[in-house]
Parts: sequence; structure tokens; C-alpha cells
Amino acid sequence: MDVVLQQIVNAISLGGIYALLALGLAVVFSIVSLVNFAHGELMTVAGYGMFFAAAVSLPFPFAVGIAVLFAIIAALLTERFAFRPMRKADATGLLLTSFAVSAILRVIFQNGISARPKPVPLPSGFAGVIDIGFLHIGIVPLLSIVMTALSLAALILFLNRTTLGKAMRAAAEDFQVLRLMGIKANRVIAVAFAVSGALAGVAAVLWIAQRGSVDPLMGFVPVLKAFVAAVIGGLGSLTGAVAGGFALGILEVLFQAFLPDAALPFRDAFVLGFVILILIWRPDGLIPAPVARRS
Amino acid sequence: MKNFRFAVLAGAMGLAGLTTAAAAEDVTIGLATAQTGGLAYADQPSLAGFKMAVDEINVAGGLAGKYKIVLDIKDTRTDTAATVQAAQELVAEGVKVMITPCDADPSIAAGQISQPAQIPTLTFCGTTPTITEAVGDYMFGTYPADNGQAALLADYAAKKGYKNIYILKSPDSAYTLRLPEYFEEVFKKKGGTIEGEGTYTMGQQDFAAEVTKIKALNPQPDAIMTAAYEPDFPAFLQQLRGAGVTAPIIGSDGIDSPTITGLGAIANGIVHTTAGSPVEGSKLAAFYDKFKEKTGAAPETVYVATGYEIPYILDAAVRAAGSVDGPALRDALANLKDVEVLTGKVTYAGTSRMPIRDITIVEIEDGKRKPILTAMPDPADVPKP
Repeated sequence: MDVVLQQIVNAISLGGIYALLALGLAVVFSIVSLVNFAHGELMTVAGYGMFFAAAVSLPFPFAVGIAVLFAIIAALLTERFAFRPMRKADATGLLLTSFAVSAILRVIFQNGISARPKPVPLPSGFAGVIDIGFLHIGIVPLLSIVMTALSLAALILFLNRTTLGKAMRAAAEDFQVLRLMGIKANRVIAVAFAVSGALAGVAAVLWIAQRGSVDPLMGFVPVLKAFVAAVIGGLGSLTGAVAGGFALGILEVLFQAFLPDAALPFRDAFVLGFVILILIWRPDGLIPAPVARRS
Repeated sequence: MKNFRFAVLAGAMGLAGLTTAAAAEDVTIGLATAQTGGLAYADQPSLAGFKMAVDEINVAGGLAGKYKIVLDIKDTRTDTAATVQAAQELVAEGVKVMITPCDADPSIAAGQISQPAQIPTLTFCGTTPTITEAVGDYMFGTYPADNGQAALLADYAAKKGYKNIYILKSPDSAYTLRLPEYFEEVFKKKGGTIEGEGTYTMGQQDFAAEVTKIKALNPQPDAIMTAAYEPDFPAFLQQLRGAGVTAPIIGSDGIDSPTITGLGAIANGIVHTTAGSPVEGSKLAAFYDKFKEKTGAAPETVYVATGYEIPYILDAAVRAAGSVDGPALRDALANLKDVEVLTGKVTYAGTSRMPIRDITIVEIEDGKRKPILTAMPDPADVPKP
């Protein structure tokens, strides 16, 4: 029982990070139909932000702020200089652009900063444990759960209570009509990228809190997970992205915890096999976008 | 007029050809290594050290004092197909020696191109002991092999009095899978038991499920052995200590990087192998100072030093062979004995071209690595690849 509860906490914490990542993809996809594979590099930028903040010995909360800020700036810059010129391109063109941005950024990191991982020191309390009854919850998983919840709440408030947020929701449904209402397309799209960058920044902080370092290729695994999660949830659907993120996190932890040892090396195959079953059951994802779109 | 120009051009080219022929004592070393992509973390520092040694050797007249080294450096982007292509180009150019990336797969792929051309080929820091046998008699390792490291670690663990050990491995690479298995083999032979085994996916970095399993073990293992490296290792360590598991960690040379000491107090007590530790007053420490003076930055990893050693190993071989001719150079390399390098001595004689060399075991203490012992693994202990 103890172990089961413990694994449930693990699943929620991992699922939370995946949810943030998938949301970052979904926010952009819902508006410009772009699966941004450079999303992982936004995380790397945030990671280097933390590294530089630590190098000038800024306190940790500032480092987090700088990480998120760096990711937002990077998202806006890639939008302005890579994706905006390509906006008239079809989905494939946009997809390839995002691969190119990702590859270029990685080479810049490798040759401009270092090919070796850079340490990001974390406050010493991070390796600690909090005991709640018979549950031992690590500080990092707890932090992931709390930060995921806060980020989701902030995003919901933004989308429902602000004009820009409403404009973004409208843009996801029908961009042309939104423009006819006199809302500037460039601004809505830039905001979508900024939100996506902020989500990448928060996810990066949580990801790095687990590993304590940042390296040029760090973004590759998370963006794949985010993509899988977004597809499970229904591409372009924000609630779907959250559901998909948690579903993927729970699946991974469950298989890791309860598969027999001999089958453990094939865990990812089991997880992705299960994902295929979900997609056979619901081809458009768990909670499809109102205007269903497939990449 | 046009014809005249053509004649001048042809003449000039002929002259150029003559000058190349005059410098026949030049020897070209071709490097097909990964300067970008997933292996750049190892190949970039190795190349930096390699180039520095080549410059020094050339100032002193070249290999064996007479063969000036010319480098042809190609980036393989950590792509095996690109590595093969680079190797083919280098072979076609007629390089005399080839250097391959810091990993088994691309090294074997490149070696299979250079082997039939009789070009001695050395891997930067590929540690899988099967590399040389998979290719043939022109393929050489340079770095402490996995089975040697594992044997030395198992011997250390047994002498330390550890009885039962938990092993964490990943089937995703030969290094993360076989090194712990070699360890297991030697440790069992020395009377230890393996209490459990976990696996992980490289790059996954979520170890919560695995850590929860270790936490539930009763009794807790005396130590945990793994060949995981970054980013997996720091993630594993943080989550392990976060869950309150206190068993000491035995690791391999993959975690010999500043990131690990940068983790702070949780890194205390980690014991791992390395190709060399820059103890004050050692040759390696002097090299680190020299490197810092030249480049402005201290080496981030011992790969800089092991890369630096390779041209000197070649120098010793060329001196012994008296030529840079493929078969002669191969024989000379294969018979090298006790070549003094920065980190100790290197011997090829009597091996399957994966050198026996000194390995250091260090313990991390308050952000510093304290050497525990430097030794060559006992050949009787070293498991067959």
C-alpha cells in the first residue's frame, strides 16, 4: 500500500511536468498549426539562464525568474525571425522550420557555450524529504506538483479573464473571424509563443531540479514526451494536453513500477503500445480540440 | 593567350605537385570524430588535447623527430553514416593513421573502412573492450576499457567489505549495460552477492519508480553500482537521496565531470573510476596548468588529457617502427610496453589492442575528488569481453 501510494505521487509529479510541456506545444499548435519541435531548446535556453544566474550567485528564486524570462525571450525571437517569415507555409514547411531552429540552436549551444554539461547548483534543501504519515515525498516531486498546479491556474485565469486570453481562445477556433473583429494577428501569435515559452521555462526549472545540469542536447527527450502527450490528449486542445501529459506520466511510472524485471528494458515499448491502443479507441485524442485538426 | 594561361596554370600545378612530393616526410592523420551532436561532450575535449600534443610534437620535428603531422579533421555529427563517409574520404586521401569517435558503434563502423586499407586506427575514448576484436588487427583502443574498470571497482568493493550490492544498468548502450555486468561477474567471483538489479532508459531522468523499489529493499544494499552518467546519474542521485536512501554509490568514469561535484553535499562519498586524477605535483596537474595557460580555461574533463596522450603513444610507436608504413606501425603499436603518459603507463603488448593502463579510483568529498588508489587491474580479474 505504502509503495502504491508512493508511486501515485511519482506519477502525478512526472505527469505534471509532461502536462506543462504538452501545454506549451498545444498553445502554439492551436493557433498556428505548428508542432514546435524547438520547444525543447527553449527549455535549454532556460537552463542556461539558471546556469548564468548561479554563476553570478543570484539566489534561487531569481534564477527561476531568469530562466522563465530567457525562455519567453527565446520563444519570441524564434517566432519573429523563424516562424513569422514562414507563416504562409504549409504544416510541413512549419514543421521543418521548427526542426531547423532546433538544430541551429543546439549547434550554437555546443560551440558557443560548451559541449559538456554545465552544473546548475540547487539549494541544498532540494534533496530533502517531507514525511506525511507513511508517505515520503521528495521536495522536488512536491515542487513539481505545486508549480504545475500554480502554472495551470495562472494559465486558466489568463485565458478566461483577460482580453488577450480570450482573443487566443477565439483564435484557436477561427483565426479569420478574429482578425475581422480587429484583433492584430501578430500580437495574438506572439502572445501564444510567449505563453509557450513561459511554460517551457517552468518545465525546464522542474526538469533541471531533477538532474542538476544543463547541456546542449537537453531538450530532445522532453519535446518528444510533450509531443506524445499532446497527441494522446488531442493535438491543439489545451485541456487535452493536460490530460495527455498526466496520462503519459502515469503510464510510464506504472509500467516502470510494476512490469516484471525481464520486461523492464522494453518499458517504452509498452508505454507507446498503450498509447496506440488509446489512439485506436479515440483517434482524435482523449479530449479533442473543438475544431479537430491533425498534424 | 588562353593557351598560354593554361600552360602557366599547368606549370604552377606541376610545381605545387613537386613541393608536396618534396615534403614526403609529412604524415597525415585523419580524424573522423564527432564535434557536434551527442558525442561532442567527449570528442570536443579529446580533440582539443590531441591538437595541443600535435603542435608540440611538430615543434620538436614531428613524429619520431622527422614526420611532421598534418591533420585532416572531419566532423561526423555523431551520425554513424556520416562517420563511415568521413572514414571513406580519409582513406581515399591516403591518411596514415585514423582517429575515430569516443564510442563503440561509430568506431567499429569507421574501423571496418580503415582495416582493409591497413591504416592503424585508434578510438578517442571508446571503452567497450569488443571494439578491437570487432574490427581487426588495425584497430586500437586508447582509454581504460570497461572490463578493466569494472574489475578494479569490484576488487575495491570486495576489499571494502561490501557483501550485497544493487546494480542499476541501462540496455541502451554497451557502456551502461556491460560495465555493471562485468562488475557483477568479478564481484560474485570475489564472494559478493547482487541483491537486485534495476534498469533505466537513457535520457529518461525520472527515477522515482526505480528509487521507490530500492527504498523498499530489506535489507538495504551495502552499495549501489551503476555506470549511469549525465544527465541520468545526477537525476538518479538526487532522487535516491531525496527518498532517503543512504547506500554509497560506486560509479564509473562517465561521471568524472564537474557537474557531479557541483551537486553539492549529496555527491559526498561517491566512489568512481577515472583515467587520471590531477593530484598536486603530478604530470597530469602540470598538464592541466599548461592547458589553462594556453587556452585560458581549465580542462573540464580528463578526456583532454587522454586525447593529448594519443599523439605521444603514436610517437612511441613510430620511433619503434622507424616508419609510418601501415603494417610496421601496427606491429609497433601492438608491441608497445610501459609507455609513460600523463596518467601513468600504457601497455599494448599481450592485449587484444585494448591497452592495459593505470586506472585511478577517486572518492568525492566536499566538491573535490580525493584519489584512493591508482593501479592496473589484475589481469586474472579482468573478465573476457
